[in-house]
Amino acid sequence: MFGVGARDILGQSRREMSLDLASLVGQIVDLAASLKTRERERAARLDFALNILKSLSADFDRLRHKIDASKTTWLVAGLKEKIDLRQAAPSCPDDFIILASDGSHIDVDRHQSARCFLINIGVAQLQYGRNPDARLLSFPTLYFKDNEVVIVSPDDGQRIPIKEQLLGVKRSVEECRILAERAVELKADLPLVALLDGSLIFWGLIGQAYDEFVIRELLVEGFLEHLNMMKGLSRDRQLAVASYISSPQSTDVVNVLRLAVCPYETVDCDRNCRGKFERRECDVVGGLLDRDLFARLLAPGERSAIFSSRSSVVMKYYGVQEVDFFYIRLDGEVARVEIPLWVAEDEKLVELVHATISDQCRLGLGYPVALGEAHEQAVVTGADREQFWGLVEQVLADDGMILESSAKRQSKRARWI
Amino acid sequence: MDTGNKVAEVIEASSAEFTAQCYRLDQSPPLGSLVKTQDSLGEIYGVVYNAETHSLDPVRRVIARGENLESEKDIFRANPQLTRLLSTDFKVMVVGHAQGKSLYHYLPPKPVSIHSFVYTCSLEEVRTFTRSLDFLSLLVDVRLPMLVDEVIAACIRYASQAHSDSQAFLVKAGKELAFLLSSDTRRLNSLLKRLK
Repeated sequence: MFGVGARDILGQSRREMSLDLASLVGQIVDLAASLKTRERERAARLDFALNILKSLSADFDRLRHKIDASKTTWLVAGLKEKIDLRQAAPSCPDDFIILASDGSHIDVDRHQSARCFLINIGVAQLQYGRNPDARLLSFPTLYFKDNEVVIVSPDDGQRIPIKEQLLGVKRSVEECRILAERAVELKADLPLVALLDGSLIFWGLIGQAYDEFVIRELLVEGFLEHLNMMKGLSRDRQLAVASYISSPQSTDVVNVLRLAVCPYETVDCDRNCRGKFERRECDVVGGLLDRDLFARLLAPGERSAIFSSRSSVVMKYYGVQEVDFFYIRLDGEVARVEIPLWVAEDEKLVELVHATISDQCRLGLGYPVALGEAHEQAVVTGADREQFWGLVEQVLADDGMILESSAKRQSKRARWI
Repeated sequence: MDTGNKVAEVIEASSAEFTAQCYRLDQSPPLGSLVKTQDSLGEIYGVVYNAETHSLDPVRRVIARGENLESEKDIFRANPQLTRLLSTDFKVMVVGHAQGKSLYHYLPPKPVSIHSFVYTCSLEEVRTFTRSLDFLSLLVDVRLPMLVDEVIAACIRYASQAHSDSQAFLVKAGKELAFLLSSDTRRLNSLLKRLK
């Protein structure tokens, strides 16, 4: 019935034979039933949460104080505006530029003896208004030198290889670097929004217990330095930096509600609720995401209040680049937009970001068109990957170097039966 | 009529034809018009026989965007990236070449080079090239994925504008076609009707 029978063995690829869909059907039906029940419970929680949110609006200072004094095991948003604020999208300026970057990479392949990785950054530069124009560019860079593929501790010479998750972080740094460098090159006469994909918060560096010298090189002297460069540019031109998170999973604002319903005078999860997992008083709003709240609260085009991130990495390292954020309701979804403090404090820049992101999503059928095009420039397909390694092997072989490609890799390439 | 502008670049080449990509969207030279490229030996001339505009990325489809806009121009104003994502290509049938001062109305020894610039021809060049109609025999016999007689007729109408007595040119071309298509009067008649 699902086309995975024996008659397909000769004609179809191996991929289609690996998953027994027929035996999964029953489980998928169960999943649907379970989701339906969960959805009903969630809707009730959401009504409750919205009522709390609206009731909190009057008590701004007290709530702020409570947040500052709290010790929670979850991340709570800092308040900068009334929590239930709704702001309609202003209109875009007559002329403006959206500059967006996105990246992809080919990781170090341990089955290859050529130790290198590739980062490809795509850039879309779209000018709107009286002189519409577009530039779509990509910047592929191969990293292979000793000092490029590892981060070395200045103290004891310890070497941390850049690969896997750390390579993802390195890529984010490069996305920001290229964005800043392109911004410098643009004529300063038009408002400019420099747009990144994903979070400004380096979650990848949290929880991995990376050494301080790794964080320093990638975050402090890398990413934040590039943001500083753009902050510097913003003195001479209207320039805002923002990052766009589609389908955000964050709960910073829901956690403000947890805090509000917490019955203890001083909120201290470890002291008051140790071991009461899933049975805490604040669990009445558990399981909700910020985007669920704002999908109900906001009308299309509206943005929420601006909040600040109180995540430890931001508090410790970001300084003037403190990450603030708001949610924006679009036609298809609620997205999270993160902006550095210096953008959040400039009303005109916030309006610029709000207006242009709303417009970009309308033009891009739900996703900022500039980010979409930057992604198209950056994307590295499976075929690209194969060709890349093939080219590496060929060039090295032409140079008389014989590569020890591992047996596993050879076996993957020759797909015999 | 253009007076010899650089309009496109060769992106596919074979002995008898080539494909060129326009530098500007929708700016293909007219159907049947004479274009040229240059190589170390001299000019290579061809007749535009088909143009098409498409997405540069074969997996990305073009979608309608103008339902709530007033003009087609507004679509490009609101979506400036389109000019970089779409491309107008045209196909050219090679009909002759020049080496030094000599003009030959048959295929050159080598195909045009890939990435050669493609220029429209000036009136003077069209007049010079079409003084002899020998190239029509190349056109009449070619097999194209479209109606070749449309191309032949468009080419003759286009060339006639370069001659001071365009009527006389059309008559001369008609006679040449009558000679080439003497065994196919139905095709000849249909072609002649398109020369008006």
